[in-house]
Amino acid sequence: MIANSAAHFSATRQTPAAPTLIGGVARFARREFRDAIASKWFALYTFAFTVLAVGVSYLSLSGIGSHGFAGFGRTAAGLLNLVMLVVPLMALTAGAGSVAGERERGTLLYLLAQPVSRTQVLLGKHLGLAAAIICSLCVGFGISGGVLAWRTGGVGVGAYTMLVGFTVLLALAMLSIGVLISVCSRRTAVAMGIALFTWLAFVFISDLGLMASSILFKLRVQEIFGLAIINPLQSFKMAVIVNMNASLDVLGPVGAYASRTLGGALPWMLVSSLIAWTALPLGLAVLLFSRRGSV
Amino acid sequence: MSPPRLTILISILATVVRSADGGTGNTPIPVSVVAEMIDNAEQGDAILVPAGIYEGNLIIRKPIVLDGSAGAIFDGLGEGTVIEVLAEQVTIRGCVIRATDEDVTGEPAAIRVIAADATIESNTIDDALFGIDLREAPNAVIRNNTIACKNLEPGRRGDGIRLWWSHGCTVEGNTVRGSRDMVFWYSEDLRIDRNTVTDSRYGLHFMYSHDTVIEENDLRSNSVGIYLMYSNRITLRGNRLTNNRGASGYGVGLKDCDDIIIAGNELLANRVGVYLDNSPSSVDSTGLFESNMVAFNEVGLLATPNTHGNVFTGNAFVENEEPAATHGRGRLVSNDFARDGVGNYWSDYAGFDLDGDGIGDVAYEPRSLFGAMLANEPNLRLFVHSPAQQAIEFTARALPELRPESTLIDPSPLASPPRINSAIAGGGIGGARMAVLAATLLSIAVACIAALGFERGLPAPQTGVRS
Amino acid sequence: MIHAKGITKRFGRVQAVSDVSFELDAGASIALWGSNGAGKTTLIRCLLGVIRFKGNASVGGVDVRRRGRHARALVGYVPQELAFHDDARLGSAIVFFARLRRISRARAAESLAEVGLIGHERKRVRDLSGGMKQRLALAVALLSDPPLIILDEPTSNLDAAGRGEVVETLQRLRRAGKTLLFASHRPDEIISLADRVLVMERGRVVQDTTPVELWPTEKPVQVIRLYLTMACEADAADVLREAGHAVHLNGRGLCVAVPRDRKAEPIAALARKQIEVRDIEVLDDVQIQESSQ
Repeated sequence: MIANSAAHFSATRQTPAAPTLIGGVARFARREFRDAIASKWFALYTFAFTVLAVGVSYLSLSGIGSHGFAGFGRTAAGLLNLVMLVVPLMALTAGAGSVAGERERGTLLYLLAQPVSRTQVLLGKHLGLAAAIICSLCVGFGISGGVLAWRTGGVGVGAYTMLVGFTVLLALAMLSIGVLISVCSRRTAVAMGIALFTWLAFVFISDLGLMASSILFKLRVQEIFGLAIINPLQSFKMAVIVNMNASLDVLGPVGAYASRTLGGALPWMLVSSLIAWTALPLGLAVLLFSRRGSV
Repeated sequence: MSPPRLTILISILATVVRSADGGTGNTPIPVSVVAEMIDNAEQGDAILVPAGIYEGNLIIRKPIVLDGSAGAIFDGLGEGTVIEVLAEQVTIRGCVIRATDEDVTGEPAAIRVIAADATIESNTIDDALFGIDLREAPNAVIRNNTIACKNLEPGRRGDGIRLWWSHGCTVEGNTVRGSRDMVFWYSEDLRIDRNTVTDSRYGLHFMYSHDTVIEENDLRSNSVGIYLMYSNRITLRGNRLTNNRGASGYGVGLKDCDDIIIAGNELLANRVGVYLDNSPSSVDSTGLFESNMVAFNEVGLLATPNTHGNVFTGNAFVENEEPAATHGRGRLVSNDFARDGVGNYWSDYAGFDLDGDGIGDVAYEPRSLFGAMLANEPNLRLFVHSPAQQAIEFTARALPELRPESTLIDPSPLASPPRINSAIAGGGIGGARMAVLAATLLSIAVACIAALGFERGLPAPQTGVRS
Repeated sequence: MIHAKGITKRFGRVQAVSDVSFELDAGASIALWGSNGAGKTTLIRCLLGVIRFKGNASVGGVDVRRRGRHARALVGYVPQELAFHDDARLGSAIVFFARLRRISRARAAESLAEVGLIGHERKRVRDLSGGMKQRLALAVALLSDPPLIILDEPTSNLDAAGRGEVVETLQRLRRAGKTLLFASHRPDEIISLADRVLVMERGRVVQDTTPVELWPTEKPVQVIRLYLTMACEADAADVLREAGHAVHLNGRGLCVAVPRDRKAEPIAALARKQIEVRDIEVLDDVQIQESSQ
C-alpha cells in the first residue's frame, strides 16, 4: 500500500522547483526591506537624518533674509558633514546586524534549509537593506529639499541630485562593509562593535591619522591624495565637491593637484572607488558566507 | 547732416548691393563697398549699412556714424582686426562683427579704436580674439554691446573689452562671455556700470587705473570677479559677484590699492569673498568695506599677513566656510571691524545681545584651530567639510590651551544681519525645480514602500481537495 | 531518496559526524536515535546541505553539495523549534515561504488549513504556542508537497497533546507515501513512525536496525532513566546491550527501553557486574499506537 501511494505520489506530482536565482534574491530583498522599514532602527535613523538634514538646510539659509540666493555650496557643505557622519553609521550597523542577527536568533538555519543558496540570501539581504536605506535617504533629502525650495530660489538642483546620488553610493559601500562584518561575526553584539569601530575608523581615525602623518612625514600632495582616496568617505566628499565645483581647488593644494593631473578622469575615479567599496566587500562577504563550514 | 542726403545715399547703396549679391541677400559682399560709402560720405554723416555680410577688414578714418541695425554683418574671415577706428568721434552702432584672427600677434580685435570720443553701442560681437580694444582713446562710450570671444582654451583667449591709456570712458550695459578679462590699463575717471561678465578669467580687471566708479555689475562664474591692481580711489557699489571660483577665485581682489570704497555689494559663493593683498599699501590710506553681503564663500575675507588700515562696518558675513583668514601666519587685528560702534554681522557669532540694542554684548573673536592649522599646512585643506575637521574644532573648544589666537576682533558684532539690497535680482528661478526634485525623492520613498513594503495577504482558504 | 556516503563533519577538534553512510528508499521512513550530541542534528544539516561536509550526499538524485538549492527544493524541513522573525505575522511568514518556493497564495492558505492554523494569520510568530509553531513549520514544509520530509526532533519542545498532533500528521504523511527522515529520542515516536532506526553515538552510526528489533513490540515498552556515576556509564551501556536492551546515553543518565513488566531487569543486570545504580526515573508511558505497519 505504501509502495502504491508512493508511486501515485511521484506519478502525479511534478517535482517541486527551486526559485530562480533572481526570484530568490528578490524574495529575500522584499522580506529584508519590509523587516527594515518596520524596525526601530529604520524609523530612528530616518527621523534623525531627516531632522538633521532639514536643520542643516534651514540653518545654512538663516541670516540671508530676503536675499533670494540659495547658497547651496554652504548647505551642501553642511549636508556633506551630516551625511558623512550619519549615513555610514546607519549603513554599517544595518549591514552588521543582517546575517549575525539571523544567526544569533537561529532563523538563519531555517532560511538556509529552504531551496535557496547562501549567495541568494546574502544578496537579497543586501538589496533589501539597500532599498530601505535609499528610502530613508529619499525621505530625509526630500524633506530638506522641500525646505530649500520653500526658503530659497533653490539654485543647485543638479548638484543636489548628485549629492543624493553619491550619498546612495556611499550608503551602498558602507552597507557592503557592514554585511561583510556580519558574515564574519558569530554574534550581533560583536558585529555591532566591529561596525562601530569601522565607522570611527572611516569617519575620524583615518582622516586624523592622515593629517598627522602628512605633517609628521611631510607627505607630498600625490601621496596624501593617494592615501585619502582609499577612504570611501573622502572619495564621496571629493566626488560631491568635484561635481559642484568642477574642480577640487577648494580642497587646497592636494585637491588642485588631483584636478590638474587627473582632470576629467577624476570624477570617474572617485565613483569607481565608491563602486569598488560596494562590490569588493560584498563579493568577499558572498565568498566567505558560502564557504562557511557552519551556519 | 540733412535727411534727404541720407535717403539718397541709401538708395544708391541699395542699388550697388543688389547688383553685387544678385538679390539673394546672403552672398558675401566685399567690405570695400562700405569703405566706399564712407569715402563718399561727409564728416558726421550717418551711414545705415544695408543688410548683408561684409567680408574683410574695415578702417574708418573719418568721423561718421556706422549704423548696422538694418542687418549688417562684418566678417573678418579670421584675419586681422575687423573694424579699426582711426578718426575721432566715430560711432559704431548695431553691427554684428565676427571672426577676427585667432593668432594673438597683432592682437586682432572686433573693434579697435585709436582715437578719442568714440561711441560703440549695441553691437553684437562673436568669435573674436579681442572684442573691443581702445588704445589711447579717451572719452569713449562703450554701451550695450554683447561680446562672445573665440572658444579657445583660457590661456589663449583675448580680452572682451580692453582700455589702454583711455581716460574718462564709460563702459556700461555690456555683456561679455568667455573672454580673458574686461581690463582697464592706465585709464582713469571711468564709469563701469551694469556690465555682465561670465565664464571669463577676471570679470573686471584694473591695472594702474585710478578714480573710477564701478556700479551694479554682475560678475558670475569667472575666475575672479573684480581684480583691482595698483589702482587707487575706486568705488565699488551694488555689484554682484557670484560663483567666481577659478584658480584664484576671488569675488573682489585688491592688490596694492589705496582708498578703495566697497559698499553694498554682494559676494556670494566665491572661493574667496574679498582678497586683500597688501591693500591699502600707503600710509594714511584706508579701505572701507560697508554694508556688503559676504555669504557662502569658502573664505569670506582673505588677507596677506600684516594687512592693515581697512575698516569693515555693517557687512554681513554669512555662512562662509571660514569667515576670515590670512595667507600664512598673521592676524587681521590691525584692521577695524567696527566704526562708531557698528560692527558686522557674523553668522557664526556665538554671543548674545541681552540689552537688545542690536549689538552683541561680547566681541566676535573667531578662533579656529583647523583654520590655524591650515595657515601652516595648506595641504590639510583636503580635510575641510569632514567630520574630522569638526572633531578638531570640538577638541579645541574643549581644551582652551589648544585654541589659537583669534584672527580678528569685532568689538561690536551685529546681532542680526543688516538688510542689504542689491540692485541686481537673483535666484528664484530654481525654486520650482527644487520643489519638483524634493517631491520626486519623496515619491521614490513612497513608491518603494508601496511596492515592496506590503505583502498581499492570504486569500480565503479553498475548501475541498486541490486538484 | 537519500543516498549518503561517508558523511564526515568536524567542528574544530570535535568530530560531530564521522563516516556516516546509508541509503533511504522513496516512501520509507527512517529515524535517527541517539543522545544529545550524538550527531543527529549535524547529520541532518549535512543532508540539507546548509553546512559544508566531507563525503557525498544526494537527495532524489540531486547532489546536495553541488546543487543544494535544487536538492532542498525536494525537502520539507521541520526544525526542533521554528525560528522565524518574531515580529512577522503568521500569514506573511507562510506567504514568504510560499513565494520562495513559487507556490501560490491559495496553496499557502490551503497548507495553513491543513494544519489547522486558519484564523491565526494575524498572530505574530512570537505569540504562537510551541505547538502552533511546529504546525506552522509543518505547513511550510508541506507547501510544495515535497517527496521528502526531514524533521529534527520535531516534538521535543511540545507537551503530550502537541506531540500527539505532530505524530498524527506525520503518520498521515507516511500513508500518503512521503519519505521521512527524523531525529528523535522518543522510542514511542520512532516505533509509531519509523520502519528503520539509525542509532547514533558520538557521530557514528552504531546500529542500523528496526524499531521492532530495538524495542520488542509485543509488550508495551517503557523507558527508564538510570543515574550512575559518570565513570561507569559507558561500561554500563555495554553490559545492558549485551543483555539485549536498547540503550542510549543521554548526557543525563542512561536511558533504557524495557518492557513494562520487566523494569527491574536492567538494574539487576548491572548489579551482577557490580555497577551501582543511584536512582531511577520512569519516563512517560510509551503509547504504541496503531500504525500502518
